[in-house]
Amino acid sequence: MRLVHWLLAILIGFSWWSVRNHHTDWHIWSGCAILTLLVFRLLWGLVGSSTARFSNFVRGPRAIGDYFRGRWSGAGHNPLGAMSVVAILAALAVQVGLGLISQDEDGLYAGPLYRLVGTDASDSARDIHELWFNAILGLIALHVAAILFYRIRGRHLTKPMVTGRAVLDPGTQPMRRGKWWVALICLAVSIGITRWIIAGAPPF
Amino acid sequence: MRFASITVPALCVSLVACGGSGASQANNSQANISDAARTGTAAQPATVQNASAPVDLRAVMHERHEGMETIGKSNKAIKREFDGGSPDLATIRGSAAKIADLSQKASLWFPAGTGPELGKTGAKPDIWQNPQDFAAKLHNFQVAAKAFSAATGGNDVNAIKSKFADLGGTCKACHDKYRSEMHH
Repeated sequence: MRLVHWLLAILIGFSWWSVRNHHTDWHIWSGCAILTLLVFRLLWGLVGSSTARFSNFVRGPRAIGDYFRGRWSGAGHNPLGAMSVVAILAALAVQVGLGLISQDEDGLYAGPLYRLVGTDASDSARDIHELWFNAILGLIALHVAAILFYRIRGRHLTKPMVTGRAVLDPGTQPMRRGKWWVALICLAVSIGITRWIIAGAPPF
Repeated sequence: MRFASITVPALCVSLVACGGSGASQANNSQANISDAARTGTAAQPATVQNASAPVDLRAVMHERHEGMETIGKSNKAIKREFDGGSPDLATIRGSAAKIADLSQKASLWFPAGTGPELGKTGAKPDIWQNPQDFAAKLHNFQVAAKAFSAATGGNDVNAIKSKFADLGGTCKACHDKYRSEMHH
């Protein structure tokens, strides 16, 4: 899970750098790698470790209210942070989706699914893909700002994200680890789905 | 004071409007740009040549933009044919001829003074700072466009594909260096 997070961070940076420096082919591959990670995260959110499961950490507004009033304790994402996780994953999914159907300005490169839409739609998708990156930047900025905010208040969130170890409030249920073979299956499925998409998503 | 602050923007607006209509006039006659330029300069006395020059360059800039867009669209149409599995050679042939034709016209698309100093364009000033290198890259493009168009006369799809890849390489070589990121 931590690996997925840091790989995402690196690949988002690499995607930006590669497209800025005329390496559109690398940019497309990087996008496909991000797609694999997103699918993996989605699956792991269903069958993975306790703190990764959406059903365990995505809660409604009442839980967020409780959290603000200091009535929440647990391992993993707090109810407010959950919103950030969902927003970032959704924004990335939109971005990857747009990239898949985009084509470049010159007709040299295109996402693996660009033939599913018309040429004008592919051009529009590219324009929106470019604009949408700002939404992602905004969410990343918010994400980093939140971490700094907690840090000022004495909570180090980066360390557990690197080492995997966090000090929990007494009485909190610790994380239940996911099974390694489930992770392997999730990885295989996400690679399989990505390869199918790279192949142009036959038979469509 | 208040009056002055109103007139200045008003003046600007009227100037812009003038420039706009001048440019669109030029655009209308863009099919025959060199003729229009010739008659334009011949009919006008030498003193107003400066005034007519910017309109002329703008027309070139516009033709360049439209031409590049057409080349891009043709390229996309060809790529779609190839990627589709059963390429329609007639479509490819038509688009290839269009690109080859426009590539020849491109020799006239980059006169000095048609960079970002004149208006919104993706053409970097570097073009006019490295005229030899730019001309060489443009020449490569023209040669590749011709070769590709010639290849589409045959039925060897792999040969056509390979010439198409060569052509794409010449687009990229020039665009990577001489085109800025332009949003339109």
